[in-house]
Amino acid sequence: MNMTTRLTWNDEKRLRKLFGNVSLSLLYKSSVHGSGVTDMVQHCSHQGSTITMIYLHHVIIGVFMLGNYPRLWERFEEPHYSFFFPFRSKDNITEMHTFPLNMAPQATDNQLTYYLSAEKVFCLCPHNKTLYLHENVIKSLGLFQRRAPDRYEYLECEVFRVEGVKANLSYMKRIMNVTQHRNRLLEELRAYKLYADWVSKVHILLLGPVGSGKSSFFNSVKSVFHGRVTRQAIVGSDITSITEQYRTYSVKDGISGKSLPFMLCDSMGLDETEGEGLCVDDIPPILKGSIPDRYQFNPHKPITPQHSDFIAFPSLKDGIHCVAYVLDINSINNLSSKMVAKFKQIHKEVLNCGMAHVVLLTKVKNYNEVLQDNFLNMKQSMTSQSQVRNVNNMLGIPIHNILMVENYASEFELDPVKDILILSALKQMLRAADDFLEDVPLEETGNLVPFCPS
Amino acid sequence: MEVTTGLTWLQEKLLQNYFGGKKFSLLYKASVHGFSGVELFRKCCQEAPTMSVIYSRDYVMGVYAQKSYDEIDKCSIILFVLQDTNISKCEMSLQTAWKSGIIWSCQGKLSINLETKDVKMASNIIETLGLPKNDPISIQEYEVFRCEDLLDKRKIQGITMDRESLLSTMRTYKPYGDLVPQVRILLLGPIGAGKSSFFNSVKSVFRGHVTCQALVGSDTSGISKKYRTYSIKDERDGNFLPFILCDTLGLGEKEEGLYTEDVVCILKGHISDRYQFDSMKPITSGHQNYIGYPLVKDRIHCVAFVFDANSVERLSPEIVVKIKSIRREVIKCGIVHVALLTHVDSMNLITKGDLIETDRCVPIKLKREAVQRKFGFALSDILVVSNYTSEWELDPVKDVLILSALRQMVWAADDFLEDLPPKERGRCIWWCRSLRVSTTTSWLLPACIYGIPGSSLSLYVLLPCD
Repeated sequence: MNMTTRLTWNDEKRLRKLFGNVSLSLLYKSSVHGSGVTDMVQHCSHQGSTITMIYLHHVIIGVFMLGNYPRLWERFEEPHYSFFFPFRSKDNITEMHTFPLNMAPQATDNQLTYYLSAEKVFCLCPHNKTLYLHENVIKSLGLFQRRAPDRYEYLECEVFRVEGVKANLSYMKRIMNVTQHRNRLLEELRAYKLYADWVSKVHILLLGPVGSGKSSFFNSVKSVFHGRVTRQAIVGSDITSITEQYRTYSVKDGISGKSLPFMLCDSMGLDETEGEGLCVDDIPPILKGSIPDRYQFNPHKPITPQHSDFIAFPSLKDGIHCVAYVLDINSINNLSSKMVAKFKQIHKEVLNCGMAHVVLLTKVKNYNEVLQDNFLNMKQSMTSQSQVRNVNNMLGIPIHNILMVENYASEFELDPVKDILILSALKQMLRAADDFLEDVPLEETGNLVPFCPS
Repeated sequence: MEVTTGLTWLQEKLLQNYFGGKKFSLLYKASVHGFSGVELFRKCCQEAPTMSVIYSRDYVMGVYAQKSYDEIDKCSIILFVLQDTNISKCEMSLQTAWKSGIIWSCQGKLSINLETKDVKMASNIIETLGLPKNDPISIQEYEVFRCEDLLDKRKIQGITMDRESLLSTMRTYKPYGDLVPQVRILLLGPIGAGKSSFFNSVKSVFRGHVTCQALVGSDTSGISKKYRTYSIKDERDGNFLPFILCDTLGLGEKEEGLYTEDVVCILKGHISDRYQFDSMKPITSGHQNYIGYPLVKDRIHCVAFVFDANSVERLSPEIVVKIKSIRREVIKCGIVHVALLTHVDSMNLITKGDLIETDRCVPIKLKREAVQRKFGFALSDILVVSNYTSEWELDPVKDVLILSALRQMVWAADDFLEDLPPKERGRCIWWCRSLRVSTTTSWLLPACIYGIPGSSLSLYVLLPCD
């Protein structure tokens, strides 16, 4: 009698990750507890959300049940949601095919059955160890390309309880769609074409207080495109800004190695005390593109046209196209008045240039709840938060341009929900910049021909 | 209602350690499944060993049984009480169990009745367990867990596979853009933090047995007096592995230990292997170990600040200031850095089973957060390892930790190389082993020398001086 799962350790870890870093507790194993439906139901009923793994010869069929496992002959009054998914040992974690159902299964003496409008779609018959799957299920799970039988002999069946998440319908919808949505966004951004074709790359400037996560945001963006946590921009926390140079980072796609159509420009952090942090007078030259990459900021003295590195006649395509004000969401309600004043002053400058602008709120702890279940828009509950309204009032930036992310600053593994937030934020920035570029008067775009001394 | 345990992480951890590195799976929770013996029996039959936990008002008590609920008959059980962080226990042999709701009864010494929610114990047992006398115990909640070994054969197999794949990725790793043949990782940290031990551990993993090339000791003044750069030869093909670990004198308080000036010279690649640190003064440009014109390959590409996880919070303010100022220098040079916490295995509460998933282990998480607060490293830059210090044989669990940390370091080095300004990339030399070009005679630098594999031809490319 050995109550250990048939899954390998790595597969178990993969399964846990697939369901959003949950914990799994093995409740039932057919070879130990007996294979009958009675044995199964007696161990698994009323244990919360579960995953049933049915081991076929070449693939594992999983059933996620959001509600409780039924008792024998039990009928549920309330709605009951589940979905089926295939799980292969060598599967890539980035895609999950699912088949959702909103009916509870029925447990009888010798079988566990799911019906969809009176038609059997799934049936587990422990007495002869077979699994019946409707052809629609087989098709949508992407199983068995050739002419498939509808009955499969299975080797074993295990049931796990899912722990460590708020298991509700919204959670289930996310789990089913998160990887697909992440991949779609990634593809979209890889293929992003700017409306204004006279600009090859959108320049996005990250501005914000010391330690708000400007450099971390660049690292996070790069991490998403590279598929691992990267740390090219040096980050950390200290009393003064860790970043002291002006850096313009271009990001290459981790797979194709192609350069992506944007540049993230990282500046020194703003500080409320004079003589510390980024000089406000340095901002106009940055916006115009007069400050080169790797320029060492001097908190006491802004750059002057006499400086050897000063770019005297930058063209519009070298300047900034979109400004992202980066703010720690947890600090917004107690920003000092000095900092707010500084921000307003900067914002005036940005508005003068007519530049696109967004706010990027970082360190959003409940980042799982920022987006709606379909990941397309922010949830109403998030946009009505006091922090968001405060920013909205302070700078007069429309709510749809207030973006929220959680940077990769604490873990070594990527998380698809974080990826989606980061990519969505980036997409909004690109769109805002595109709008700005479209708005540039024709005569100014005419000035974009490389400056040639007469 | 959710089926989750009412134990705090600390209580759960204490019990896990107490019963020898166990993992608990909750099977039955009375408030959800009902205070009924029948229901308990249904959920927990054929499960062994089990731990049953009773929540009383001020403390948690429980029974650990080797046999399953349906088999318990004349076996010995362990009765335990957990008060704050103390566990007291009392072993007893069971006479009858499982009588319609009465779960345990031992010759009148102990009876636990689930349905009436009360526990009766003989006075001598109450005394052994250190419970208050004449205080009726009522069951507010009852939970049953299955106990498994935290580290079983299946996990060891998975970890061994992880180790193999990590080993092969590290062996075939190529630094970013082939800018350098090997990346240099500098180990910095207080005296006795385990810098040399980390090198020894890395070497051991690649050698397949425990080695101890770098002299290790816990002498307070720092055993390594020389600057050493260690390359590791791969056993398989005799080639050098694509990384070099650079070991320094430990950082000490005040006068003793490494100078900040020396660190800067090391970072820029001015100091060569086996330089004897001078406790009186930092290196000068005339020294025979001083490299005047270091190439990119001589520079440090990643810095690892090494700390002993057990003493990092007790480091003196002087050391903290010193480390912070060195970190500033590292940042000024644009070098990516990580923090490495060693000896996590000897941390309080930690057992070997915790090391297989350090990111899920609460004490390690708390430790990383403490280091973040103290030094300001980003959490994702704080790595944990357990060095080989007293072992004779390798352990796949430790190997995976060491290799994962090393992989993060070479990735960090890659990030540094990618960030290198284009004009400095010209200072990269493709170092062909057959083609000895000494750095002191390379006055025609910067140049690139490309060795063409399979032929004796070399291509010299001269680049404009910067």
